Amino acid sequence: MQDRPTAAELLDAMAADLHSEVREWVPRERRFRILVLANLCAVIARELRAGEEPSREDLELFSRLGGIEADDPREAAATLAAAIRRGDLDDRLPETIAGLREHVARKLEVARPGYAVSAGDA
Amino acid sequence: MTRPPEDALATGLRELIAEATGSDPGALLLSPIPGGASRETFLAESEAGRWVLRRDPVGAGGAFAPLQTEFRVVQAAAAAGVPVPNVLAFEPAGGRLESAGFVMDHVEGTSVAPRVLRREELASARSALPAQLGAALARIHSIDARAIEGVSFSEADPALAACALWEGIIDEIGEPLPAVEAGLRWLRLNPPPPPEGQCLVHGDFRLGNLIVDESGLAAAIDWELCHAGDPAEDIGWLCVRSWRFGNDDLPVAGVGTLRGLLAAYEEAGGQPPSLERIRWWEAMGNVKWAVICARQAHDHLTGARPSAELASLGRRIAEPEWDLLQLVPSLSGPGRPGREAEEAAG
Repeated sequence: MQDRPTAAELLDAMAADLHSEVREWVPRERRFRILVLANLCAVIARELRAGEEPSREDLELFSRLGGIEADDPREAAATLAAAIRRGDLDDRLPETIAGLREHVARKLEVARPGYAVSAGDA
Repeated sequence: MTRPPEDALATGLRELIAEATGSDPGALLLSPIPGGASRETFLAESEAGRWVLRRDPVGAGGAFAPLQTEFRVVQAAAAAGVPVPNVLAFEPAGGRLESAGFVMDHVEGTSVAPRVLRREELASARSALPAQLGAALARIHSIDARAIEGVSFSEADPALAACALWEGIIDEIGEPLPAVEAGLRWLRLNPPPPPEGQCLVHGDFRLGNLIVDESGLAAAIDWELCHAGDPAEDIGWLCVRSWRFGNDDLPVAGVGTLRGLLAAYEEAGGQPPSLERIRWWEAMGNVKWAVICARQAHDHLTGARPSAELASLGRRIAEPEWDLLQLVPSLSGPGRPGREAEEAAG
């Protein structure tokens, strides 16, 4: 066991520092790079807090959608992707799309919370 | 002491500008302009003025339109009334610019999209832009791509060709992208009918490749992805949510409505594509952006271009994936849930 702060708490501190003071030290035209780094700290902190559950849910989802038996989500994703490409799932494409929205929404919870809404289109 | 290579480049460029304009610009100070994966861009300054040099990286080939083609396309766009930088001269590889390059007048303004969308002094530009973008696109699409030597053209249906192109790039990357595959599969099974004719397509028409000043659109730049294709491709790409930079309710680059864009497009002599066709290409635009993000992250992972910024794009793949899977079922097609079912579910 490490002492506190936890890994996620350390990343929160790094993100806050990069966002506030460090950003000011950097020439205006290069500040974008600092924001990228601060954002990555925030992404990693959310991923640590989310734990293994999202990956388990993805493995279960990919296995169900593709009728696959696999232990590793990346392997299941690859098998599912290939089946979709071959047209094996054409007769249930709408269900496949609906299922994969859950997978994408889970990724966005970590990578960009708040993005998973419908945007206006006219 | 060996002279730095920029020195020879600055001398060559000075000669080229003197020849093209009839007056010596004096000693030039060159500074690289960042951005652009396939081409190098430099700002050249002297007391006499400012120019921009665009050239191939030394020793590079690549899948992009050859630089001389880009030079010809910018000239054709100028002749068609599209605001573009005034191009001065082209120099082939092995000449005074070492690799192939061309020089143009510098255009004042910004191509940083969030600045265009937020800065107070650009408020009037924002209200002018939707109509200007529509008119510029109509003029680009009035150009017969086959009349320009070197522009890639295929008899194949542009929609199916785009499916095959991005499937091929996904295979090169080798990362599993099931959500992109599902969207692509739907697009492949439900393509729009082939367009009546193929025209010149800019290929990357969005605020990041447009110079904007206080009166709006000053110049369309970065023509390296231009090709012959469906005019709806440029319109759909301009509507991709990532290019709205948070102004989600303004689908056209975060500055305007599609209706407004198409009215200006028609006013300028264009034939507006159907909304369904534009949506198909907007969805395909999300495929393209998702795959580009994956490829940039891959370039970091393989060590080809180590960069935290490129690495971070791997975690942005989910954004266009989300928009892709929102768009595809809203396109009409047999046995697909309609808009209302979608809204009830979501």
